[in-house]
Amino acid sequence: MSETLLFLIPLLPLFCAVAIMLFGMRLPRLFAEVLAVTGVAGAFLLTLLLWPYADGEGTRAVLFTWLNSGSLDISFAVHFDRLAAPMTLMVSGVATLIHLYAVGYMHQDRDYARFFSLLNLFVFAMLVIVLADNLLVLFLGWEGVGLCSYGLIGFWYRKLDNARAGTKAFLVTRVGDVFLGIALMWLFALTGTLSISAINAQAATIPSGVTLVLCLLLLLGACGKSAQLPLMTWLADAMAGPTPVSALIHAATMVTAGVYLLCRLFPLISLSAVGMAAITAVGALTALYAATCAMAQREIKRVLAYSTMSQVGYMFMAVGAGTVTGAMFHLLTHAFFKALLFMGAGCVIHLAGDENDIYKMGGMARRGPGELVWVFLAGAISLAGVPLTSGFFSKDNVLLMVYTHPDPLYKIFWGVGVLAALLTAFYTFRLVYLVFAGDYRGSGTAHALPLLMRWPLWVLALLALVGGSLNLPALVGGHERLQHWLGDLAGRPVTVDHHLEWLLVGLAVVLVVLGWGVAHWRYARFRNAWDNPLSRFLLRGWQADAVVDRVLVRPFQAMALFCWAGIDRALIDATVVGMSTRMLSLSMLLRRLTTGRLSSYLAAFAWGFLLILGWLLLQLVQGGGHA
Amino acid sequence: MMTASALPQFPWLSVLIFLPLAGALICVLTRERADESRWLALATTVTVFGISLYLWFHAGDSSGAWLYYEDVDWISRFGIRYTLGLDGISLLMVLLTAFLQVIAVLISWPQDKHVPLFFALLMVLEAGLMGVFMALDMVLFYLFWEVMLIPMFFLIGVWGHERRRYAALKFFLYTLAGSLVMLIALIALYLIHGEQTGLYSFALSDLMRTDLSTTQEAWLFAGFLLAFAVKTPLVPFHTWLPDAHTSAPAAGSVDLAGLLLKTGVYGMIRVAFPLFPTVVQKSLPLLALVALIGIFHAAWGAYRQTDIKRLVAYSSISHLGLVILGLAAWDLTAWQGSILLMTTHGITTGGLFALVAMIRQRTGTRDLTELGGLWQCMPNLSAFFLLFALASLGLPGLANFTGEILVLIGTFQSHPIWAAIAMFGVVFAAAYMLKMVQGVLWGESKRTFDCEDLTLREWLVLVPMAVLVVWLGLYPLPLLKLLESPVLTVIGGMP
Repeated sequence: MSETLLFLIPLLPLFCAVAIMLFGMRLPRLFAEVLAVTGVAGAFLLTLLLWPYADGEGTRAVLFTWLNSGSLDISFAVHFDRLAAPMTLMVSGVATLIHLYAVGYMHQDRDYARFFSLLNLFVFAMLVIVLADNLLVLFLGWEGVGLCSYGLIGFWYRKLDNARAGTKAFLVTRVGDVFLGIALMWLFALTGTLSISAINAQAATIPSGVTLVLCLLLLLGACGKSAQLPLMTWLADAMAGPTPVSALIHAATMVTAGVYLLCRLFPLISLSAVGMAAITAVGALTALYAATCAMAQREIKRVLAYSTMSQVGYMFMAVGAGTVTGAMFHLLTHAFFKALLFMGAGCVIHLAGDENDIYKMGGMARRGPGELVWVFLAGAISLAGVPLTSGFFSKDNVLLMVYTHPDPLYKIFWGVGVLAALLTAFYTFRLVYLVFAGDYRGSGTAHALPLLMRWPLWVLALLALVGGSLNLPALVGGHERLQHWLGDLAGRPVTVDHHLEWLLVGLAVVLVVLGWGVAHWRYARFRNAWDNPLSRFLLRGWQADAVVDRVLVRPFQAMALFCWAGIDRALIDATVVGMSTRMLSLSMLLRRLTTGRLSSYLAAFAWGFLLILGWLLLQLVQGGGHA
Repeated sequence: MMTASALPQFPWLSVLIFLPLAGALICVLTRERADESRWLALATTVTVFGISLYLWFHAGDSSGAWLYYEDVDWISRFGIRYTLGLDGISLLMVLLTAFLQVIAVLISWPQDKHVPLFFALLMVLEAGLMGVFMALDMVLFYLFWEVMLIPMFFLIGVWGHERRRYAALKFFLYTLAGSLVMLIALIALYLIHGEQTGLYSFALSDLMRTDLSTTQEAWLFAGFLLAFAVKTPLVPFHTWLPDAHTSAPAAGSVDLAGLLLKTGVYGMIRVAFPLFPTVVQKSLPLLALVALIGIFHAAWGAYRQTDIKRLVAYSSISHLGLVILGLAAWDLTAWQGSILLMTTHGITTGGLFALVAMIRQRTGTRDLTELGGLWQCMPNLSAFFLLFALASLGLPGLANFTGEILVLIGTFQSHPIWAAIAMFGVVFAAAYMLKMVQGVLWGESKRTFDCEDLTLREWLVLVPMAVLVVWLGLYPLPLLKLLESPVLTVIGGMP
């Protein structure tokens, strides 16, 4: 029965979350901190320990039945397989580092119990998504991460804007959840099951038109959580949360849940060529859109948020191009370098005295530990795709797979992806220059950096630099280990001649150098921000919020007003009250009812009631006897 | 109908009705003794809850027959019998009633106006509810239906808040109008049945065998449905509810949302649907349409409210819309989901109303524009508020989700479009619930008040409800099993 141990992976963080929730404030602070880290680190160690269970077809374990009705039978069940295992390891591993960092980051916040409880609860929910055996349990985790994200974005709730950002994130992602929910119901109606592997096995029996619609529904669901067009507006605002939250939830794990979902159901979605093209298109457009936005942002975390959006777009492109390996590879390396960048940003903000604006930074390395610039740079070059870093290999792999897709349409997507890569290099080095180059331009007083905020960065920096070895391409003598590990689940293999590959590598290098060169020319010496209509347009994310406000929010509010004041008040109530007043005025008796004292005839009622009751009882006795 | 009680012939069902009535009588007779009547009410409701739990645990196998059944000749001149029966559906409603009534007594503890009468009326209300959920003779059913109406009228009218007289009267007239139409339809049905068979009987099982022409069936069904639709309430018969809730005392609100509304749905399941099977099938699409309109109309209405009690009242209408949609789908899974959702909605909404009362008691307001920042000074109360709000917006793992997803999945099997549209209700629910949470818990507090977190009595109210909310979210299986065979009996197997 040792496969039941698999349940401990998600349940350990859950237990710790509940324990901290109930007792955190009553016990010493250290207790909550140790418990929080233990829960997540325990999950990480367990994953390593139970790794062999992922081999072959993977291992299933059932806890108990959740719902059973007619042919519907849903259990709390996990499936630890070759796709889930690396994801579990990444989530719990990165989460452990971020929890350690958070202990340092939050050491002055008095509300630590709520923070760590929610953070652990998040890890639980995320692991549920990763390990879920059926779609309904996945949905439980799916909404669970949304809840934790809501609670943590609005963690500093006294500022109402933070709470508003949390609400926005919950609502926008829930719009995506609706489509996932519809897909879930439809899949059950078609296959009679919600088990992910059973659905995948039966996917071929579903009519192709339906597959396309399902694919689009799943895509929309994934777009919500992964902040892709058109459901992307919440992510930039989500940066209102504490930085460890941004690192864990809004960079490394939750926003990649959509990608993971598509990978899980890859056998299903890959049956629809049009659906796959749609996924690629959404990914490519988001990659470009977010990269342009990142170029103009002033707040360090917003730059990184848009960058996250853009990088997740690459993962969508990979899925759409038919390679689960490519998506997972980029997902993993991105988790390393983006978590690193966010945590580095947290250090920078600390050093700048809680200042977020990169135009009020500069020379930050000299205000704190000198190593900061190096670890940050490790993340940055990986994001920019500097050769031999992890981000270089994974992004290159995505672009290669998109380029080699037989459908000519994908060449356009590839072009968009390449353009986005150029912009990525530019905005990354812009960020580095503005933060670290030159002299300090702000006026904040630096907070000291606790040790716990420093050394987790080293681990991630190392992973960001060498993470490419996870799936080193054959081109440079690698073994494509992730591709082989995923086996049947990996999707389309790389089948191109090395000339083309070298050509694309060369292009990638040119892009990075070009991006860096422009950034160097513009920002190596500080100059103020461009201020023109275009940069303002980009700064506001292409005015997406204004559009959503006009197209959705205001009509919604208008309808709300109409339903209540228009229909309920003016139409129904006015009619009913008008009618009854007229009736009442006809009747002296009822008029007295409205003007007389209500309590005075309470007694009358009671007596009358007793009378009737007595009579009825009398009848009962007279009628007598059982039938 | 057969007698299939696992127990010796002890009339447990009658005890469920007459024990609260006896309690009420004692309360009235010993008026002016406030404290004693509080404890008496608590003792009575706890005993009733204990009995209903006992009945549940000893229910045995529920295949086909009634779990418990009592039948006594009553007014033979008119063929009226005293018939009570309990199957899985009614047992669940009885359990919910008994549980929520204990809660209602506990949250009414600070009540200090005409205390004995107040608790007496609460207990009469309990008796009426129990009767409605168990009666199998239509006169008995109608009697309890009216018994239920009167205490609630006075609870709102005498112990209510602002505009209580208007609200009480509105409530009274709406439901009275509905039940009068039902009475006419009932008597018509009784006469038709009597003429046909020569057997004048009010027994539900007899009336079900009446041969009706299509027109007759349609009119009679409409008569019954109107009464139940007003109570449920279905749009457009719903505007009495927000007013009634706003004015009602806390216990009244808990009972209204948790129980009274359920009698409307229960009436459809137990009475209206089985009596008129042919016309029901034809009217299901219409019912679904009304339900769908209700889900969104009420959600929009809820979003617009600034009074949080009114907001929760509107959310009830929206939830009940989903319940009715599930019934309209005429599918085992959807029905199980509907009845489960009725139950869980009673608990989550009851919890929310209890919390609204506690908040009002401390801050003196229920207005979203004046509230805010409660988490800062009463984190425990706020945590419960958040929990019930999340359950109410259908977060998986908490109570309402299980019912909702069963309704949606079940409905999707036969009517994918209905289910897909209804699915969007979850965004609406999140919109108004999070708006409320944001206005109450987050931000800075806008007025000064005593920062008193939960008292022991309030913990006693909230903890059992919270436990149920989590339990029914993770393990509703016992309830689903309880519902399976009675639901199949009503809907006639899988269509």
